[in-house]
Amino acid sequence: MIALFWVCALVILASGLWVISSRQPVHSVIGLIVNFAALAVLFLTLSADFLAMMQIIIYAGAILVLFLFVIALLSVGDQPVEIGAGRLRFQAVPSIVAGLAALLAMGAGVRLASWSQSASGMTPGFGSVATFGTELLTTHVFAFEVTALILLIAIVGVIMMAGRKEVRF
Amino acid sequence: MPQIPLNLYVGLSAALFVVGAVGFLLRRNPITMLMAIELMWNAANLAFAAFARNFIDMSGQIFVFLVITVAAAEAAIALAIVVMVFRHRVNADVDDISVMRG
Amino acid sequence: MALAPLILFLPLLGAVVIALFGQFLQRTTCAIIGNISILLPFMLTTGLAIAVFRLPPEQQAVYAHPHAIGYWAHMPPLLTIPFRLLLDPLALLWMLIITGVGFLIHLYSVGYMAPERNYRQFFSYMNLFVFTMLLLVMTDNFLLLLIGWAGVGLASYLLIGFHYRRPAAVLAARKALIMNVIGDVGIMIAIFVMYVHYGSVSYEDVFGNVGAVSRSTLTWIGIWLLLGAVAKSAQLPLHTWLPDAMEGPTPVSALIHAATMVTAGVYLIARAHPIYDNAPLAAEIVAVVGGATALFAATIGCVQYDIKRVLAYSTMSQIGYMILAVGVGAYAAGAFHFMTHAFFKALLFLSAGIVIHALSGEQDIRKMGGLAVRLPFAYWTFLIGTVAIAGIFPFSGFFSKDAVLEQVLAHRHVWLYWFAVAAAGLTAFYMFRLLFLTFFSGAYRGEQKVHTHTDSTMTVPVGILAVLSVVGGWLVLPNHDELSIALRSSFVGTPYPQSMAEFNGSLSLEVLVIAAGGIALAWLAYQIAPKITLSANAALAPIHKFVYNAYYVDVLYHWLFEWPVYALAGACARFFEPVAIGALPRLATGIATRFARLSTSWENGYLRRYGLTFVAAAALLLILYLYLVRGAFAGAVQ
Repeated sequence: MIALFWVCALVILASGLWVISSRQPVHSVIGLIVNFAALAVLFLTLSADFLAMMQIIIYAGAILVLFLFVIALLSVGDQPVEIGAGRLRFQAVPSIVAGLAALLAMGAGVRLASWSQSASGMTPGFGSVATFGTELLTTHVFAFEVTALILLIAIVGVIMMAGRKEVRF
Repeated sequence: MPQIPLNLYVGLSAALFVVGAVGFLLRRNPITMLMAIELMWNAANLAFAAFARNFIDMSGQIFVFLVITVAAAEAAIALAIVVMVFRHRVNADVDDISVMRG
Repeated sequence: MALAPLILFLPLLGAVVIALFGQFLQRTTCAIIGNISILLPFMLTTGLAIAVFRLPPEQQAVYAHPHAIGYWAHMPPLLTIPFRLLLDPLALLWMLIITGVGFLIHLYSVGYMAPERNYRQFFSYMNLFVFTMLLLVMTDNFLLLLIGWAGVGLASYLLIGFHYRRPAAVLAARKALIMNVIGDVGIMIAIFVMYVHYGSVSYEDVFGNVGAVSRSTLTWIGIWLLLGAVAKSAQLPLHTWLPDAMEGPTPVSALIHAATMVTAGVYLIARAHPIYDNAPLAAEIVAVVGGATALFAATIGCVQYDIKRVLAYSTMSQIGYMILAVGVGAYAAGAFHFMTHAFFKALLFLSAGIVIHALSGEQDIRKMGGLAVRLPFAYWTFLIGTVAIAGIFPFSGFFSKDAVLEQVLAHRHVWLYWFAVAAAGLTAFYMFRLLFLTFFSGAYRGEQKVHTHTDSTMTVPVGILAVLSVVGGWLVLPNHDELSIALRSSFVGTPYPQSMAEFNGSLSLEVLVIAAGGIALAWLAYQIAPKITLSANAALAPIHKFVYNAYYVDVLYHWLFEWPVYALAGACARFFEPVAIGALPRLATGIATRFARLSTSWENGYLRRYGLTFVAAAALLLILYLYLVRGAFAGAVQ
């Protein structure tokens, strides 16, 4: 079991690094897909069956497709999108330093923390569709409705923005 | 089966989050930056799910679901903005968009 | 008696009126105002003097209290100084000379200063001077004396620098003021010591309780007062300002730097005689300073070529005589010499002024000569003055110099006596040298046209002074010493006999012979055989140069005092200020600017930079949080 975790962890981190470091956005998308897949496996190990499915369907299936469309819309020829050195000085090193600092802090917190385990064992059906649906539509129905609203706003906003006449920056 | 310790999941979540953050800061292509943001979302999701399993509380998983939804909405809007801004540019370089200074 | 304050304040009124309203008045009006405000005080002083000398000696210390002013300082029990005037014979003598000779010189200035642009200002300044000098001699306490002292220093500064567009004049005025201020400090310190020991600075309190203070304290007071006198009276070593002060107009040189201001030191020591009577060391120092200066200045006067400079060194030498006199306790003799010196020195300066005026400003005697026939009035009056200063019987100088020399010898100061005698011989020599070179020695050597006409406003005062130079000494005749009788109430309590009635025939003859020798030498050198003199000068050129430059004392002072200050100032301006002091504000502004630039550069519109801010802040907050909850990690696995 642990071996599975470590394999997935390795894949997740490696693909994550590939996402952020590849020159071509399409390559990054591929990396992201692999990342999501490995993450879905980890959800399965966490008894989050429904979530694993949602991860694949929504994230990998819809959002990444959206990304691909936009990449296709914006790419012009074979030029690498980032030419020339960045105009910002003192960005690279401080970023890495800050990131590492945050990582060390969180790592220290994780190492030193001791979370209490739940007294009872795993309930049957934990993470199943039925349990998930019940929870969502009873205990968290308010959040559910608000999220729906958010989606509506997003749709309206996107249509407004993307359908606008040309705006020059 | 013996449970995988919670610490490992949270540690992985932290690592993935930092990867996403640093990627956001170092890349200039807006789409790649958005993908780095997605990584950060996912790291948070993983942490939520791990804690849900630890405390046998479904709220964590519900929250993951909500996060995914909001992430989708955000990705849509962000990509729309990116399209609008960079439609007529040769390079998609986020450093060109520094009008809101000061 | 009640009118006494008027004597003091009329000149002040004159000065203020001319200063404020002069621009609306005619020049002549201002001149009249200036003269009246000295003439009236003179007449009042004469009346006052007659009244006071009629009183018996015990009552001759007359006080006048102008109630309008009341107190100068009223802080009982710390310090109370009523504004009171002491009009005893010593003060009255000085007042008579100040107002009398002062009036004559004011009258002379009406004509002499006529071509000047700021004619009116001149009278304002001169009136101011007379006021402050009168204040100096009329008060009854040291503090007001110091105020008068500083006031005459100011007047001197204003008048030396009267031609303020001339850099030489401005520098001379500054030099005079700075040296005078050194003296002022001396008097201030003396006042402080007096206050500490007596609790008061009035003459009554200080002189009345002289025995209550230790001798060493008295000696110190005497020395500090001497410092003031040395500065004001241009004695060694604070003498260098007087020759330069000749940059001022001739009436100024006559009044301030011959007749009155420079004698303030003599007045001070004579007034403070109870202190010097009880502090013989201080008195000794005074005498030595006076005697040394007398000889020193006489040697320099022998080689100068500017008329006024010769007269300036002559003044320095004669004041040396007076200081010597009061140093050995011969106060009346010192006052006597002051009086005669005021007459003939003012006479010399004013008739020299007639010569200078006639030659349109020429002062170099090498460019004069043969003027006896062309300027007869100037010649005869200058001759009278020269004979008087050389101490030839029966002119006034003879009597006063004799009186001083007799007293010096009587008090057994042999060295100083010979110094003084040598100075007398040199005085005769160089004054006649001046006379011969100016009025004789062949034909006129200058290029200027000689204007022979002189105003009566200039000739009348000079004539009066000439008469006074002849008869002024007759106040002190053998067995008929009127002056010390008149002054004796001012010098009560001194152990030294003040009477000048003793007549030492052999001494007088000795001095006459020496003076005659000096005159003969001058006659030989400059009338009979001038060419030998010239070649002698050339042969002794290094010595000549040394003496001509006043033994390079000026140069010494420059390197000793001025140069370090200038160097320090220059170093400060060039290095210290821009580097050290400038660095600090520059550092502050540099830091502020850098910080500001850094801060503003943070908000440059770049998205990634803002993102970095987020991440960095988050990392910091995480670390902070972990630190704050570190206690919760008990039993943690590390």
